[in-house]
Amino acid sequence: MNDAALEITGLTKSFRVGFLGRERRPVLRGLDLAVRRGEVFGYLGPNGSGKTTTLKILMGLLRPDRGSARVLGEPLESAGWRHRIGFLPEHPYLYDYLTASEYLDYAGRLFGLAAPVRAERSRDLLRLLGLTRSANLPLRRFSKGMTQRVGIAQALINDPELVFLDEPMSGLDPIGRHVVRGLIVDLKSRGKTVFFSTHILSDAETLCDRVALLRSGEILKVGRLDEILTVDVAHMEVLASGVAEAALQSLPGVLRRHAIGERWRLEVKEAGLGAVVGAIEAAGGRVLSVQPVRQSLEDYFFNEVVASGSLDQAWEAGD
Amino acid sequence: MGSGRLRRVAAVAANTFRESVRERVFYNLLVFAMLMILSGLLLARLSIRQHEKIIKDVGLASIDVFGLVIALFMGVGLVSKEIERRSLFPLLAKPLRREEFFLGKFAGLALTLATNVAAMTAGLLLTLWATGARPDLRLLHAVYPITLGLLLVVALALLFSTLASPTIAAVATLCLVAAGRLSDVVRNARTVLPNAPAWLVEAVYYALPNFRNFDFKDRVAYGEAVPAATLAWVTLYAVVYVGAVLAVGVLAFRRRELH
Repeated sequence: MNDAALEITGLTKSFRVGFLGRERRPVLRGLDLAVRRGEVFGYLGPNGSGKTTTLKILMGLLRPDRGSARVLGEPLESAGWRHRIGFLPEHPYLYDYLTASEYLDYAGRLFGLAAPVRAERSRDLLRLLGLTRSANLPLRRFSKGMTQRVGIAQALINDPELVFLDEPMSGLDPIGRHVVRGLIVDLKSRGKTVFFSTHILSDAETLCDRVALLRSGEILKVGRLDEILTVDVAHMEVLASGVAEAALQSLPGVLRRHAIGERWRLEVKEAGLGAVVGAIEAAGGRVLSVQPVRQSLEDYFFNEVVASGSLDQAWEAGD
Repeated sequence: MGSGRLRRVAAVAANTFRESVRERVFYNLLVFAMLMILSGLLLARLSIRQHEKIIKDVGLASIDVFGLVIALFMGVGLVSKEIERRSLFPLLAKPLRREEFFLGKFAGLALTLATNVAAMTAGLLLTLWATGARPDLRLLHAVYPITLGLLLVVALALLFSTLASPTIAAVATLCLVAAGRLSDVVRNARTVLPNAPAWLVEAVYYALPNFRNFDFKDRVAYGEAVPAATLAWVTLYAVVYVGAVLAVGVLAFRRRELH
């Protein structure tokens, strides 16, 4: 069996712009990507980097200028893999006049599922996503977060092997985000592959086995987060409490300090760590933790964007 | 068409039917049409003779006009609204081909219109019965071609709905319907434009949907029957024309990029 759930080769797409559409603006520039079966893969990038365009091409909503893709081992043009995937579009708009149950039943019918299977899966998914009590309300009465959850439910109605989620956390409140994070973890534990696009980097850090970083239609980097994000052992992060700011001001080796309520987070040179810890304790404070400075995905992303161009350039491509 | 395909077309059709019958405007139009049919009673009182013919005239005209309004207003938004609101995105990611979606939409609205025409026809027959006239089933000889004509309007509206916004689709469909109802004017265009090439006038005449082919209202109101052969010819014309329009619509929808 092919190990790749998704293989993209040389995917290129441009949109017509300007008067009479004579000019073309590139949105994807020769994208190469492979997603392994059973992994949670984050597709990250700022607004306009080409995330949604990639997903629309994969789902057959847009045609690529060049390039090809294979989904679950089958060519993109084949229809067979569509029985085995689920898709949540960005900001899904569902039918106002249907109830959540009716909508899921409709989605199930398009997969050719038998009525009892549709009923059982709808019930289970609505319960899993906390929508049981709203199952028979028209969707026009749903909040944005509830609509998003119904959108996720329809993507899972066929128990897919591979799920594409475009900004799945969009519009969700903290409880909804917790539920969806749990759902993604559960899908992975059942051997499913999850491909999700997001610009909320903390979600990717929590959930993803691997990520691809996209900017202006090009892949910047693909890999595990611990491979991408550097650990800076020359600098340490010290979390301390019960120490006055005045005692910290005169300490040598403290590069930065931030107050977090009653606590202080200090960035310290590794060579001066012992002296700083000693000084905090001498001033009557407590050292709560010491750890090497780890670059966050957000730091990495921002540095890459700023290092190689302006913010305007990062946003220019447009989905 | 395989059973899987038919099932998917039927699922889209059933959903479109549900969408249409849950639209408030549908009921408003239906109630208004019924009132128009009932107004035939009032008009019949103004006439010394021909009560029955007036009721039939007004009733059949109401079925035709309100059917056209429903076909037009619902048809032009069928695909364009789904594209605009992106509600078809999750559907097309499923094993649903674009042509299945398109044909399902057509079938769903066709079913809605057939239901609507059946309700209005029942209203007309009841009105006739209420005045003491014998319910004349020959009315169906006019109602059936009207329904075929409405299916053609739906197909045209659906085609334009795939290519343009609802407003532009409505204007384009209305223009074609008007031209098709005035097709004799097109055929006689050379009396006003003598320099127009005869072949061009003929080509335009035959290319336009000839809605006059579906109009037997006067004959039926006078109590004449329409021969079965004529009805068969009208059916064939509708099948061929609707089929051609749907084929063009499917091709256009397949090529369309959905942003």
